[in-house]
Amino acid sequence: MKRVLSGNKAVAYGVMLSRVQVISAYPITPQTTIVEELSRFCAVGDLEAKFIKVESEHSAMASIIASSLTGSRSFTATSSHGLALMHEMLHWAAGGRLPLVMVNVNRALGPGWNIWTDQGDSLSQRDTGWIQLYCEDNQEVLDTIIQAFRIAETVSLPVMVVLDAFFLSHTSEIVDIPPQEEVDAFLPIFERQYRLDAREPRAYFGLSSPDYYMEFRYKMQRAMEDSVRVAKTLDEEFGRQFGRTHGILEPYRCEDAELVMVTSGTVTSTSRVVIDRLREEGVKVGLLKVKMFRPFPMDEIKRVLKGIGKVGVIDRNISFGHGGIFAQEIRSAFCNEDERPMVFGFIMGLGGRDVTPDAIEDAIKVTLHNERPMEEIYWIGLKR
Amino acid sequence: MAGKIIFRGESEMPLFPVSSGDMRWNRTGTWRYIRPKYEDKTPPCNAACPAGVDIAGFIGLVAEGRYEEAWHLVREENPFPGVCGRVCFHPCVSSCNREHYDEALAINALERFVADRALALEPKPPVRNVRKEKVAVVGSGPSGLSCAYHAAKMGYPVTVFEELQQSGGILRMGIPPYRLPKDILDKEIADIEAYGVEIKTGVRLGTELTFEDLKDYGAIYLATGAHVSRTLNIPGEDLDGVLSGLDVLRNSNLGKEVRIGGRVAVIGGGNTALDSARALLRLGGNPFILYRRSRNEMPAFDEEISEALEEGIEIRYLVSPTEIIGHEGRVTQLACVEMELGEEDETGRRSPVPIPDSRFTIDVDGVVVAIGEESDLAFLPEDIRVEGTMVTTDTAARTSRKDVFAGGDIVTLHRTVAHAIGFGKLAAISIDCALRKRDVGVVLQGIQVGENGSISVAKYLDELARRRAPHVVVYEELNLAYFEHQARSERARASVPERATDFREVIAGFTEQKAVREAERCFSCGVCNDCENCYVFCPDLCVIIDGGVVRYRINYDYCKGCGICIAECPRNALSVEKEAK
Repeated sequence: MKRVLSGNKAVAYGVMLSRVQVISAYPITPQTTIVEELSRFCAVGDLEAKFIKVESEHSAMASIIASSLTGSRSFTATSSHGLALMHEMLHWAAGGRLPLVMVNVNRALGPGWNIWTDQGDSLSQRDTGWIQLYCEDNQEVLDTIIQAFRIAETVSLPVMVVLDAFFLSHTSEIVDIPPQEEVDAFLPIFERQYRLDAREPRAYFGLSSPDYYMEFRYKMQRAMEDSVRVAKTLDEEFGRQFGRTHGILEPYRCEDAELVMVTSGTVTSTSRVVIDRLREEGVKVGLLKVKMFRPFPMDEIKRVLKGIGKVGVIDRNISFGHGGIFAQEIRSAFCNEDERPMVFGFIMGLGGRDVTPDAIEDAIKVTLHNERPMEEIYWIGLKR
Repeated sequence: MAGKIIFRGESEMPLFPVSSGDMRWNRTGTWRYIRPKYEDKTPPCNAACPAGVDIAGFIGLVAEGRYEEAWHLVREENPFPGVCGRVCFHPCVSSCNREHYDEALAINALERFVADRALALEPKPPVRNVRKEKVAVVGSGPSGLSCAYHAAKMGYPVTVFEELQQSGGILRMGIPPYRLPKDILDKEIADIEAYGVEIKTGVRLGTELTFEDLKDYGAIYLATGAHVSRTLNIPGEDLDGVLSGLDVLRNSNLGKEVRIGGRVAVIGGGNTALDSARALLRLGGNPFILYRRSRNEMPAFDEEISEALEEGIEIRYLVSPTEIIGHEGRVTQLACVEMELGEEDETGRRSPVPIPDSRFTIDVDGVVVAIGEESDLAFLPEDIRVEGTMVTTDTAARTSRKDVFAGGDIVTLHRTVAHAIGFGKLAAISIDCALRKRDVGVVLQGIQVGENGSISVAKYLDELARRRAPHVVVYEELNLAYFEHQARSERARASVPERATDFREVIAGFTEQKAVREAERCFSCGVCNDCENCYVFCPDLCVIIDGGVVRYRINYDYCKGCGICIAECPRNALSVEKEAK
């Protein structure tokens, strides 16, 4: 069934189709309409879930950590400062190996006060042990929610599904809503090995001495590594069921490319237009959309970019004192390779500033016309 | 629970820390590895009290204005609060933790306050099963009457045999009314008689009464005291005008003529010497005291010494008499030598050594010898073992004869009223154990108060009473943040000119206001007094106030073992214990 849905409503449908049992959330722009829609689903009976109102995002995450421990499929959504407030609980969820799914609508952190899109909030949480998936459009948002639960429940790690504020969250597109029975087939009822059960209560997350803490962390890393393969396999299975896949990466027109631009989120869609135009002009430029940021799919990325001379990375984020975070990751992926591309790092679109086709073309031209980066960071569109 | 689980490698481990089994035995999970528990402990005053009085308990009641209950509480252990509140050497005060903060609590004054408030009250003898065995007590001093009182409470018919015409022993004969008014003593003896104790006066064991006459009694308690004065063993002690300190006090206290006056040398440094001098002063004499060591070594209570000095009585130290010189059979002079202090003797005091060629004489009208008392044990049958001037007893007051028990001054050099009362109590318990064929050793172990040998009869009669750990709370264990500095309340004293004319009591009692204020200074070391600090501070709301015997309890389903309740308890009435694993 096709409907015109905003990204936030696509999230809500994805959650409903996933038969989530517990939702706990605290409203924050631009996430609010997700929670509104879900509470409406619960109120009218479209979704049989417990909706827990809480006083903060920290409590929202704490609530679903507890509900997930009981074996209930649990969900929350937040944004920006709300995610920052959750930070401590993100570690508990991941260290507790809970198959939670959370949507984060990318929004800049203050000050200055800013409600528009920026990847700074989710990337600040990159080391918490959450899988992070960045979406490009509303169909991908809905599909990724469903996939995220499968991934989470398979590898016992929580998954953060990320979408851009307003460009996706409040922008409506045609979205195909799959039938419930097909979703049920793809995402069956989950039976958890460890369940908080009042009939046989156990102590969870107790003291771990230096004798064992490291082993728990090792197992998390192994699960992270494993989830690259799991996500790919499940995406393929999803494709067989629903007729569409999204991949953990998506190379676009990279076949004979001399230079490849790396993007994530909605910048990807704009970039496709620019790439198409430049291809018509004979420029051998391709595009790599990175959907999976954590775990960072090193091998897959190296496979795509192998033999490419120059790579331009567009970052809608900045790690102060270093640079764009995706650019860092790409550089580090190649660091031990004999043959490695020149990596040009571009910072653009912070705090919701438009990343226009012209801006992307500027970045491509910088990459095209320089043998190697002349600056560590290229600030595109900065008013100097 | 299960032993320690050891994982050889990550593959054996769960994905995240989780207990391997059911945690209903500890619902907070492994977070709590210690748990708080309410555990009253022993306050130092209580441990120090030879009579085992629940001092923190009665003071808490005074602070709440529950004076009658306080009186009953003291009397559970000690039938002489009015006496002890006046004449006890109060080791409770000396051991009071408040001493390290500002000033020790005036515990003796509070005990006296409680007794004085109770002058019009009747005791409430408990209704108990009457025991068929009879108990005989020989001697009606504090030890004999204490034993009689406790044995009567246990249901025994008790008869006390007293040699003199009046009961009370040393309390009546040896302590002047300016320290212990007779009406106070009479009231407390009457209260003991109210328990059914029969006191037969004018009956001396060995003359009017024989051991054979006592064969119907299940047990005999010997508490005949020490009332034979030691002599100086110098020439002239047989002259007219030479008396013993006990003679002076006995005659003075009984209202008889004291055939001595004018300039009188009182020899000795104990309470008997001090009291003899002070009594003579009140009778119009001009006494002075000679003591062979210095003030530091004087065994008399400090308070007595300073009051005597206030009253103008001269004390000459480091002087020892060598001869009493008389004329026509009556004393006229005392010859002395000066002394200096040498090595420590067996009592830990430096012993006096005569200074050669220091002899001098003093003109005197009389000499009072008050250098100590001994027991007259000639009346005892041979099967009761004696060592020196003391009856041999074990730790349960048993003599070598199985139905005969002994205590007080005839068994110890701790010649205080409080020790005598403690012995009487010990004897009553020991007698009860003997007659009920209970193992007194085990019993005594279970009723200790602290670690110094004090015992509680309340605990003996009711295992649930005063359940306190034997640990004696020290100052460093208190949380002083909850106490304000406040000086001890003082009491009025009779003026020196007033004191010189009659035997009125020197020290007045507390007013009610002062008593309550003083009682409120009590730290209540180790004894919960419902301050509710634990309740207020518990971050997990798991202190439950129930109202039963133990008012507080902890909901261990929520207690995470943070220990804040223990830290914030001002008085160390909570303890920590390790969680089971």
